[in-house]
Amino acid sequence: MSAAPGGRQGEPNDGAGRLFELPPELAIDTAIARRVIVDFVRNQLRQAGFSRGLLGLSGGIDSALVAFLTAEAIGPENLLCVLMPYRTSSPESVEHARLVIERLGCASDLVDISPMVDGYFGRDGQPGAAGVAEGEASALRRGNLMARERMCVLYDRSVVWGGLVVGTGNKTESLIGYTTLFGDSACAFNPIGDLYKSQVRQVAAAVGVPEAIIRKAPSADLWPGQTDEAEAGFSYPELDRLLFWMIDKRRTDEELLAMGFSGPTVERVKRLVATSEFKRQVPPVAKLGPRTTGVDYLYPRRRPGSARK
Amino acid sequence: MQPLRIALVQFAPRLGVLEENLARHRELLAEARAAGAGLVVFPELGLTGYQLQDLAAEVAMRKDDPRLLGLAAGTDGLSTVVSFVEEADDHRLFISAALLEDGEVRFVHRKLFLPTYGLFDERRFFAAGDRLRTVDSRLGVKLGIAICEDFWHLGVAETLALDGAQLLINVSSSPGRDLAAIHEVGLGTAVSWRTLMRTYAQLTTSFAVFCNRVGMDETISFWGGSEVIAPSGEALFTAPLFDEGLYTVDVELGDVRRERIGLPLLRDERPELHLRELRRILAHRTGLEIDEASEPTEGGEVGPPGAKAAGRRDRWP
Repeated sequence: MSAAPGGRQGEPNDGAGRLFELPPELAIDTAIARRVIVDFVRNQLRQAGFSRGLLGLSGGIDSALVAFLTAEAIGPENLLCVLMPYRTSSPESVEHARLVIERLGCASDLVDISPMVDGYFGRDGQPGAAGVAEGEASALRRGNLMARERMCVLYDRSVVWGGLVVGTGNKTESLIGYTTLFGDSACAFNPIGDLYKSQVRQVAAAVGVPEAIIRKAPSADLWPGQTDEAEAGFSYPELDRLLFWMIDKRRTDEELLAMGFSGPTVERVKRLVATSEFKRQVPPVAKLGPRTTGVDYLYPRRRPGSARK
Repeated sequence: MQPLRIALVQFAPRLGVLEENLARHRELLAEARAAGAGLVVFPELGLTGYQLQDLAAEVAMRKDDPRLLGLAAGTDGLSTVVSFVEEADDHRLFISAALLEDGEVRFVHRKLFLPTYGLFDERRFFAAGDRLRTVDSRLGVKLGIAICEDFWHLGVAETLALDGAQLLINVSSSPGRDLAAIHEVGLGTAVSWRTLMRTYAQLTTSFAVFCNRVGMDETISFWGGSEVIAPSGEALFTAPLFDEGLYTVDVELGDVRRERIGLPLLRDERPELHLRELRRILAHRTGLEIDEASEPTEGGEVGPPGAKAAGRRDRWP
């Protein structure tokens, strides 16, 4: 087992400035998490016949952690981090992404997605490919398009780099559906999809992700000053705790209320989870033939012969 | 008595690649032999990998399959437990563990309990075995062989011990999960298994051998942590979590006698009591009540098992 510094830590660097808040029930053994994830990345690539990976590095904690763990699994020389800012993205995001690249010594690439997004939605009163009939596109439409343009770039680069796209979405955002379908959630495999945001922070601290990245408020960075927590209306530690007790520990509404969670919060989070079920599953296929993929044709992805030659 | 050297083969089979796993078994067997092992234990489905789904039928072997016999041929002077997908004459598929000794397939145990809940889906692809027997081995003691989930059911280890087993062997492909930092070893699954194996060893006053695989199939990772527990419940050896390796452990089989003389738990077992109460419980659960008049009276003799059958009446004619 790797001797990760602070392998069993449940104390998120208290003292002068607390690095992050970690609800005690969410604390995990980071040495084991690290071991399992690194093996997972290595296995996923090897079984598919690849030795290289790439990911979109946003400057946030999720992609930073995946970059650290992927570099550990396959060596930084086999990792490509792609920075894909839009013109309104915070300059701090690119700075933080650069910090990760310098620390890891991996390859990087910067693709400005502004021309693609503006080409579709238009800019400065000039219409784009989407036309002008509805006026200015909503933040939702713009955010979704940006996420999907980044997906397009990553999958295009994956051909040139000869590697697989490594996912960077965490369990919290997946469960509440705070993702763009076929956008940021698109990947060949996801090493951190079973870690809540609080646990991402815990593992990130253990593997040495720069503190500035761990400390800053998580943001989709779709407009200046945006933060996940302000947008959602609850903090990650609170949301993670609720999801943990609700989903992992199967607590009923009554039990959750008795634990001190507020009724409206429980209701709202339950609704978010239920309405985003579709984002977490492969699209359903109408059952017609004798054997149907995903229904009664069930093979491991990595069956003999499935690897690229 | 010469100590018995047990080799625990904590390795990572490749999913669905039978030929490669067979070759790996032959190599590891040779390695164990060179290390002086008398008993070599491979993990559950070591010949095929675990998360097979529809591949199960494609890697299945009959117990007289030349490939299995070929592996057995390399076991002169050795007791070896290997595990594979077994296809029966009627084409049911089982998760099986075979005892290979002195060049032949001596015994096959078919997994009795197929977990089909949570992350498990075994019952969809496999049939459950229905025999629980010990086997005489060339080691001079009876072996009780079980597969993973079999040991999550209390009666299995007890039945094997009552049937004469002095060495219990559980081969597993246990997926690791629950990383909560509160656990003693940081992995909930490992904590559970350690508790189980110590308990079985101590309560049956037998050696308990646990061989769990490592590596990954699809999304699940197997955690290793193979163990040998003495009849006193003391852990003689614990393999590292997740690390591949062939680990050898020396045991004194004479410890079983010493433990059973000092702590005669097996002598004091009451299988007839279990049987009587189980018959009553079973009759109640299936709607076939037992005639109370045929039950032993307070302080009465316990009759032979057949005695009560005559008094049974069917509530659903």
